[in-house]
Amino acid sequence: MAVVLVVEDDAFICELTEMTVQDWGHQTLSANDVDEALEILRSPQHIDILFTDIYLKTAVVGGFELARQAIKMRPHLCVLYTTGNFVTNDMRALFIGDAECIRKPYTPRQLQTSFEHLLAAHS
Amino acid sequence: MTDSFGKKVVDDIAASDIVETVPSALLVLDRDLHITSANRAFYQTFRTSAEETEGSHIYELGNRQWDIPSLRTLLESVIPHRATVEGFEVEHDFPTIGRRTMLVNARKIFRPGDHDGFILLAIEDVSEERAARAESKRNWLLTKSIVDTIRDPLVVLEHDMTIVTASKAFLTIFGITEAETQGRGVFELGQHQWDVPALRDLMERVLPENKSIENFEIEDDFPGLGRRVFNLNARKISQPGNHTSRMLLVFEDITDRKQRERDALTLTNEISHRIKNNLQIVVGLIAFEVKRTAAPCVLGYKAMQARISAIAELYDLISQSSHGRAIAVDAYLKEIVKSMSASLLGPESGITIEVKSEALDIDPERAVPFGLLVNELATNAIKHAFPDGKGRIVLRVQRVGDVIELTVADDGVGIKKNTVSPKITERRGADYVAIFVRQLGGTILAAEPEKPGTTIRIRLPLLLVLPEGAEPIAA
Repeated sequence: MAVVLVVEDDAFICELTEMTVQDWGHQTLSANDVDEALEILRSPQHIDILFTDIYLKTAVVGGFELARQAIKMRPHLCVLYTTGNFVTNDMRALFIGDAECIRKPYTPRQLQTSFEHLLAAHS
Repeated sequence: MTDSFGKKVVDDIAASDIVETVPSALLVLDRDLHITSANRAFYQTFRTSAEETEGSHIYELGNRQWDIPSLRTLLESVIPHRATVEGFEVEHDFPTIGRRTMLVNARKIFRPGDHDGFILLAIEDVSEERAARAESKRNWLLTKSIVDTIRDPLVVLEHDMTIVTASKAFLTIFGITEAETQGRGVFELGQHQWDVPALRDLMERVLPENKSIENFEIEDDFPGLGRRVFNLNARKISQPGNHTSRMLLVFEDITDRKQRERDALTLTNEISHRIKNNLQIVVGLIAFEVKRTAAPCVLGYKAMQARISAIAELYDLISQSSHGRAIAVDAYLKEIVKSMSASLLGPESGITIEVKSEALDIDPERAVPFGLLVNELATNAIKHAFPDGKGRIVLRVQRVGDVIELTVADDGVGIKKNTVSPKITERRGADYVAIFVRQLGGTILAAEPEKPGTTIRIRLPLLLVLPEGAEPIAA
């Protein structure tokens, strides 16, 4: 069982994702923007995976900044980005460490596979 | 004895032979400006003879053609006060030889015991050289006036990157004077905005390697202009017959164009974000239906997820093709396959999908039904061809005349000939294929029963001939 922080500006997608992830036996936390997410990351709450949208309403590439700050606080955190936009090489250059990225619309199976990859790489 | 003889020989040579062989016209005048002697070059240049010349007063010579105000100034005002005069220029219309520019060097020569001395005039015809210089100046002024009419700022540079000239547009836009640019290094201008190592490197290769610079982009804050984006183009320029070459550097202000591109990109990203979020919701809702649905329907729901993913991929390509560009079919199919493999097969699947396509471009307007057609055919193969979960599907696109032929071949169990009434979901897949082929104006070719597995061949009039210079979109 892992703890997943889902950061998604669309509340409906956020909830659907949480339900999907909970079905696999994981625990979820959620935030709709960078500030909310940072508040959770600053708390003593254990977190294994940060699953964040790159394009957040309040910040065009807020997901990158969030992941950068999150890794400073928690160097062993797994990071999985998602986006509906093209992932260019310039964007890839902003990925932290061994982070992965999953394009929208992703199926539950694609999401599960990405989680498994990340958890295996960090175990 | 030998020495005095030797000196005599040298004096004799100096007085006659040397004078006769020098290319400049020489005249020797006494203190009253009478000509005592002249050399051969003088007679040839001014088409006269020793008889007409020697003993004459210089102003009387050849119908007074030497009675020139500037020569009078030299002989009467300058020479009496100076021992030598060099480079005195006389321009005059000579009756015998026409308009000429002469360069006169004068020297007063004294013999021992002779206090008056005489004047040696060396006259060189520099008319052609001066005409060439005037022509060059005229050409330069003409070039500069053309340069000044060009709206884009430009400069001409020497090998060492110093500015020879800057166009009016350059001076106006960057708010500097001509004097401030001439002889200054281009990298020192303004706040050293052009001093970019990559640009320096390219510019240093323009002249020695004759390598032009095309569209080097620089974005910076310019005094009085604010933030600007310039495209720099440079090329070697040289005049015919002139061994020296210089560099023409043109600055194109593309700030507005860049801003429009950025706005368009922001808008595309925003729309893409919204659409993909909506598609994500649909995929999420289907995922929840899958959990509550009886097993036979699950594959149908998953196929629906694959179709939605295909539409998402297509949306990306279509949004990119908004500039009317074509879509590279090879890259396009690979993206569709990637998406389909992820949603329908998963990483552990024994079924593989390969793309073997020629480098062809298709019409972006009809890429959506084409992508959905490929998706349906491949989905059908995944669903029916491999009951043991292992096999290979090959998607091939090739040009046949002026149409493209799409082949979807699998090495699976093949279509059962005695299937009378396929299930409604299977029929649906085939129906979709028929609809998309009809929409695209294509033809389904007869199956090839002798081959193992199933091969579907469809010819489609989707080929797009690109105009020269247009680039297809890589997915």
